[in-house]
Amino acid sequence: MEKHPCPFGGYLKCDNPDCEYRYALSEVLHLCSDIIDKIAQGDCSQRIDLRVDRYAVQRLIDSINRLADGVASTVDLTHELAVGICEHFDVLRRLQEGDFSATATEDSPLEIVRMLGALINKQKEAFLRYIDEIRRQNEEIIKISEQLNTILSTINIAVLISDEDMTVEFINPEFEKLTGYSKEEVVGKMKWTDFIPEDMLSKMMEYHKLRRISPSSVPAQYDSKFRNKKGQIRNILLNVAMIPYTKKSIASIIDITERKRINEQIIHSQKMEALGVLSGRIVHEFNNILTGITGFSGLLYNKIENPELKKYVEKIMNAGEKARDLAKRLLLFSRKEEIREAQEINLNSYFIKFSDFVKPIIGRDIEFKLNIPEKEIFYKIDPTHLEVILMNLITNARDAMPEGGQLTIGLKELSLGLEYSYAHPLVKPGDYVVFCVTDTGTGMDEETKNRIFEPFFTTKPRDKGTGLGLSTVYGLVRQYDGHIHVYSEPGKGTTFKVYLPVNKKKKSAINTEALKGKETILVVDDDDHARSFITSFLKEYGYNVYEAKNGTEAFDIFGKYKDEIAVSVVDLILPEISGIEVMKQIKTLDPQAKVIIMSGHPVEIKDVDFVEKTLSPEEFLMKIRNKIDKKD
Amino acid sequence: MVDRHIDFSGLRCPLPILKLSSLYPQFKEGEIIEVAGDCPTFEKDIKAWCTKLGKTILNIEKSGNKIKIRIRI
Repeated sequence: MEKHPCPFGGYLKCDNPDCEYRYALSEVLHLCSDIIDKIAQGDCSQRIDLRVDRYAVQRLIDSINRLADGVASTVDLTHELAVGICEHFDVLRRLQEGDFSATATEDSPLEIVRMLGALINKQKEAFLRYIDEIRRQNEEIIKISEQLNTILSTINIAVLISDEDMTVEFINPEFEKLTGYSKEEVVGKMKWTDFIPEDMLSKMMEYHKLRRISPSSVPAQYDSKFRNKKGQIRNILLNVAMIPYTKKSIASIIDITERKRINEQIIHSQKMEALGVLSGRIVHEFNNILTGITGFSGLLYNKIENPELKKYVEKIMNAGEKARDLAKRLLLFSRKEEIREAQEINLNSYFIKFSDFVKPIIGRDIEFKLNIPEKEIFYKIDPTHLEVILMNLITNARDAMPEGGQLTIGLKELSLGLEYSYAHPLVKPGDYVVFCVTDTGTGMDEETKNRIFEPFFTTKPRDKGTGLGLSTVYGLVRQYDGHIHVYSEPGKGTTFKVYLPVNKKKKSAINTEALKGKETILVVDDDDHARSFITSFLKEYGYNVYEAKNGTEAFDIFGKYKDEIAVSVVDLILPEISGIEVMKQIKTLDPQAKVIIMSGHPVEIKDVDFVEKTLSPEEFLMKIRNKIDKKD
Repeated sequence: MVDRHIDFSGLRCPLPILKLSSLYPQFKEGEIIEVAGDCPTFEKDIKAWCTKLGKTILNIEKSGNKIKIRIRI
């Protein structure tokens, strides 16, 4: 551009009002161009503050100023938009990085930016809710998983989870207990098939295949066998299922070896019971027939003279006697005989004396041992029964040792707890006298062992045994509510353990004088024997007694003699009105009345005094005396 | 001490702050960056950006049309 002639710089910068260049058209146009250039560069603050006379020029100046205003407004909006975008961009970035404290502002003058901010915040909230829900579900899953783990770890059922290729993936502590293997030895290293005995394996594999192809076609639960680390085979109840959404199987395993043994015991006992009933019935019918045979053959014997015929009749009579003897022995098995001759026996002395008989029976080849405790053991038993039991067991032991061996008889007292009775359901917990007969003979297999007490079952040659020896022992022991435990191993020997329950009644050490009294007692019992027995010993001790058979009679008597009656002894079980109800009504008639409830077994009811009928008369009286004297 | 220099010279606003926002994820917290630009509204835009994003302006240096602004991220 040509150098400006104005000494003050020109371009309207001259303050000289007389300058010839001031307000020249070219000057104004230059100014306008400069301002437009600056606006174009982004400086929207530029304005032309000039008034000129020429209309066209002034219009140009005004247009440039309006253009600057317009561009400034657009630039401001663009900047607002850009800043808003930058801010929201940053919020989104922070959210993406997991910083959920980031929140978009919603105060932009631009609606679209405000809306974008609001949308981001709503999205964030929805996302947070979603995350919260996932977190809650996750916590729930963790809880369920922990619960399942606890259940699996503490449950008394062995659990195994195996993969599609049968490799064990999980076992619980009960499984470790069942098998004797540790988790480290099993998981990932063994297959479930490693625990199955060879004879069961093909069947199990077949089952496994079928279950995968068609689960409904095979039972979920079945009995099987399992081999533990020691190689022992256990009976198990197996429950198998597929784990949903996987190809894994879960097996729960219950060891039923013990249960099976108990069931077998029960079945055996039921079988023996049935045999007892059957043989009892047969003996009964048999005896009726025998009565005719032996009776009439006796009559016939006396009537006929011919010695030849007499001999035949004699044979009939002998056969009849033999049959009667057989019937008698069968009767022992069926427990139909009453125990008549029971007496308190010192078992220690008895066994020592009995040993003298044993030695000649068993012979020299068999060594005899007797193990008896120092403490004397007494037991109330018919000595004949004890002899029969011992003789039969000893004879059997001797016959089991044809080549000689050792025979041991042992005696001891034993207390069997609840735990034992759970494992042996036919045995009541309590104190027992136990004697055992052990031989080192041929022993028995399981099948023989299960049948030895059956009448007429024998392993001896036809003419050597009747098959009634052990069944007689069984019947006699059961007569005393006892039981027999047999342990036998083929080739090693057999032990018979006879458990006889000890009756807990102890001899009274009560001062009988202190039990005497002259008071009046009301005895309420519908059982005539029981009532008269109680009445008789009460009277024996000096008491006056009123007797009532039922509640109605009791109320009548009590109503009449309530001032006289010191105590009422009422049976718990009475016809029509129960003993407890009788007691309540007596107390209604006289709130101070003293009442004792009698029961055949120990009972506990709040605020009710009980006396067991099974107590000795002295103990019974003591209870009554204490009640009268208010000591109880 | 400046960790990064970014020159936005020649770019018209609001392009510098849009570029700055897109570069931002690369910055580390506490870093000091220096942005330079020659747009007339550069300073105003950078100030607005810092206010919105909570960043601190440490220094503004002007040299002719060019402006250099230091920011703590």
